[in-house]
Amino acid sequence: MAAVQETIDQVRQIDVDQYKYGFETEIEVEKAPKGLSEEIIRFISAKKQEPDWMLEWRLDAYRRWLTMEEPGWARVDYPRIDFNDIYYYAAPKTTSGPKSLDEVDPELLKVYEKLGIPLKEQEILAGVDKPRVAVDAVFDSVSVVTTFKKELAKAGVIFMSISEAVREHPELVKKYLGSVVPTTDNYYATLNSAVFTDGSFVYVPKGVRCPMELSTYFRINEKNTGQFERTLIIADEGAYVSYLEGCTAPQRDENQLHAAVVELVALDDAEIKYSTVQNWYPGDKQGKGGIYNFVTKRGDCRGDRSKISWTQVETGSAITWKYPSCILRGDDSRGEFYSIAVSNGHQQIDSGTKMIHLGKNTSSRIISKGIAAGVSQNTYRGQVSAHRKATNARNFTQCDSLLIGDRCGAHTVPYIEAKNSSAQFEHEATTSKISEDQLFYCLQRGIPEEAAIALIVNGFVKEVIQELPMEFAVEAQKLIGISLEGSVG
Amino acid sequence: MNMQTTSRQTAAEAALIDAFNQHVGDLPGNGAVISARDRLVDDLKTNGLPTRRVEAWHYTDLKTLLRALPAMQPAGLVAAPAPLVETASVIVMQDGHADGKASVEGVVVGTFDAMLREGTAAPGLSVIDGDDTIGKINGSFVRDGYVLEFPEGVEIEQPIEIQALHGAGQIHTRFPVSFGAASKATVIERHVATTDGQAFVSSVSDISLEDGADVTWIVLQEQGSSDTHLGQVRIRVGADAKLRLFVINAGGKLVRQELRVDVAGEGADLQLRGVNLLGGDTHTDVTLVLGHNVPNTTSTEIFRNVVFDRARGVFQGMIKVALDAQKTDARMACNTLLMSDDAEFAAKPELEIFADDVQCGHGATVADIDDNHLYYLMARGIPRSKARAMLVNAFVAEIVEELDDEALVEALETVISGWLERHA
Repeated sequence: MAAVQETIDQVRQIDVDQYKYGFETEIEVEKAPKGLSEEIIRFISAKKQEPDWMLEWRLDAYRRWLTMEEPGWARVDYPRIDFNDIYYYAAPKTTSGPKSLDEVDPELLKVYEKLGIPLKEQEILAGVDKPRVAVDAVFDSVSVVTTFKKELAKAGVIFMSISEAVREHPELVKKYLGSVVPTTDNYYATLNSAVFTDGSFVYVPKGVRCPMELSTYFRINEKNTGQFERTLIIADEGAYVSYLEGCTAPQRDENQLHAAVVELVALDDAEIKYSTVQNWYPGDKQGKGGIYNFVTKRGDCRGDRSKISWTQVETGSAITWKYPSCILRGDDSRGEFYSIAVSNGHQQIDSGTKMIHLGKNTSSRIISKGIAAGVSQNTYRGQVSAHRKATNARNFTQCDSLLIGDRCGAHTVPYIEAKNSSAQFEHEATTSKISEDQLFYCLQRGIPEEAAIALIVNGFVKEVIQELPMEFAVEAQKLIGISLEGSVG
Repeated sequence: MNMQTTSRQTAAEAALIDAFNQHVGDLPGNGAVISARDRLVDDLKTNGLPTRRVEAWHYTDLKTLLRALPAMQPAGLVAAPAPLVETASVIVMQDGHADGKASVEGVVVGTFDAMLREGTAAPGLSVIDGDDTIGKINGSFVRDGYVLEFPEGVEIEQPIEIQALHGAGQIHTRFPVSFGAASKATVIERHVATTDGQAFVSSVSDISLEDGADVTWIVLQEQGSSDTHLGQVRIRVGADAKLRLFVINAGGKLVRQELRVDVAGEGADLQLRGVNLLGGDTHTDVTLVLGHNVPNTTSTEIFRNVVFDRARGVFQGMIKVALDAQKTDARMACNTLLMSDDAEFAAKPELEIFADDVQCGHGATVADIDDNHLYYLMARGIPRSKARAMLVNAFVAEIVEELDDEALVEALETVISGWLERHA
């Protein structure tokens, strides 16, 4: 109840149409020239002091990308993107990477402070009760700081920016990068492969349970830049890791592109839990500005008895195009997808998941909750398939949509493909508005309409919120409340 | 996923265009009809047959699946089967030709051939949208069919059975049917192959229900194991009308049954039911596009599929609720039993909702027979194979039992159990 009350208070305090993270920070920035070409890719690669194989990998992807066409199947509508009108590299001006927090531009630290993200290790260590979270902060194109590196290293966990990993652990990067999302995968993933600038790299060795939550905060600050981050997480045999990402961007009139790739690899008996709270700038009331969030996320349950679980809370972005998926390759592996997608104003969301059952006795579970308000369009698109050899594949899918207001749309597009007679797939979907009975019940007890709706919505998404790490669950609940602000009445 | 921007014309595509060029002279129709046909063929020529890249044809890649076409002229007819219900009024299509003298008491019966010659058929030779390949093919080649007009208030007690019989070759038929206000009738549209030769069939039923009409329409498809059947039922449902639409697929090699339903009058109520009995090497696709376009309408859709052998089944069901279609209540279920390890099924139940005060839902399951059910029967001394047959039969027969007409229920159950005996 406390969290619900907090949501209600939060909603009250805030003016309609206010995006909390819409500030812009004046920071000296180094940028590559606008546009995309082999030179720019060479420039990025050189900036990152990458080995030749990495540059070749990028150039291959770029040449491939030139031959590809932008996909048009998603239920989203936007003007053509001019890929030559984007800065592909922007970095806060510092010579080489900061060794400690003291070397980081204080302006930058303020940014993260404003975002409510603690980067100072000692502060967290002082608070005895507070759960500890290691953070990798990515600002425009580069990772600015990664906390708790030493402590993690003691456990054998590697947590660093991917650019560092390319230099320091080339054997791991070489082995796993592109092994889940190949450079040829799709238009945006290929673009990302060519120009990705930074992101997080996690390796949890055999039998290690990562001692704390890992998290990355992404921030787009510069104008006209695209953010192309790349995250690679590997859980070796028997390992466990929980990872969270958050994202924000300043309020701007023009659209900005964010095309990330996330790859997860779980070997035998490993488990990866990946949570996202996505809060990119969604554009204003008239639908001006906002981030285009075209993301490829995929997890490979490569080992037997491995498990990958995706949890996402999507409240931001003008357009979201995102399908965190699980390839259930190992026998007895399990995939999970829990999602809350909230759209308001002119937002467009086309999101869902894919569960590809390849191994024997694999199981998957999909819980998707879509909430559409304003004049937004909210689509769930999901695929569940059982390969011919995937005996005893199991899936349960539930996708519910809630409509608030009569000008929004909610759509459900599941693809269910069974090629094995022992597969058991169940899918159910519902769409409705907030029940009059429930609303009446609240109002009749003196709860104002807006608070009542927040209450009912929180109940609607409860199953997914429960899957989030505790401290983020509260944040997510607040976010949902704020996102739906102004949608009532 | 690579985009293919250019594609070669396939043998079947070339054969379609050739067939048209050769036979356009002897297809019935006045100037308006001929120019309508020309437009459709041009469209086919330019866009070709749909591939899996076309979302509406994602699981039925017609360009790949349709290999060759049989000769234009049908041949090889044998005797007509007995009607499903003894007391039914039967009108027969032979090899794609209607009988000009056919009549049914209380109903105005005409032929589509006459409509084509007069040119009144021309406006109907149009496509619903760009994905309407069946409309394109049928509109280009259609020769004949029955035109039925049920006058206002007429109640026809006994079912009317349209028997579309054919041997090998190409058959393209169309049935424009209008049910007047408050009329009541049951119509069975039955497609039967009478020989083993390869046939290519396209058939469009263009049906309208005026206000308060109460209609049961049954499509029973029993084509041969090498036949292609492209069927389409277009229905417009008026205010307070009641429609029960049953589609039973029990044959064919490459089958696409499209149901395009426009719920256009307030208070309309629809029951759509489907039974797909798939065996051998069939590829059978049932695609439903149901538009709730006005407020206060209800519908339920239940599809049951049983897939044996190497058969592939597809169900695409789209419920669209338009912007102002408040108080829509639509529920869809698609349940599938996979009976063999080589069988496949793909389901895509979609909701596209633009109104908020609605209740919509869909459910889909794919599984083998429930072990508990099987155990229950076997514990009572019923052998495994028989128990399985009983369960499969019950799974599909349940749908048919919803019909009021007992004689009809019995007849359809006989068709179903006969098919299952041949395949189980």
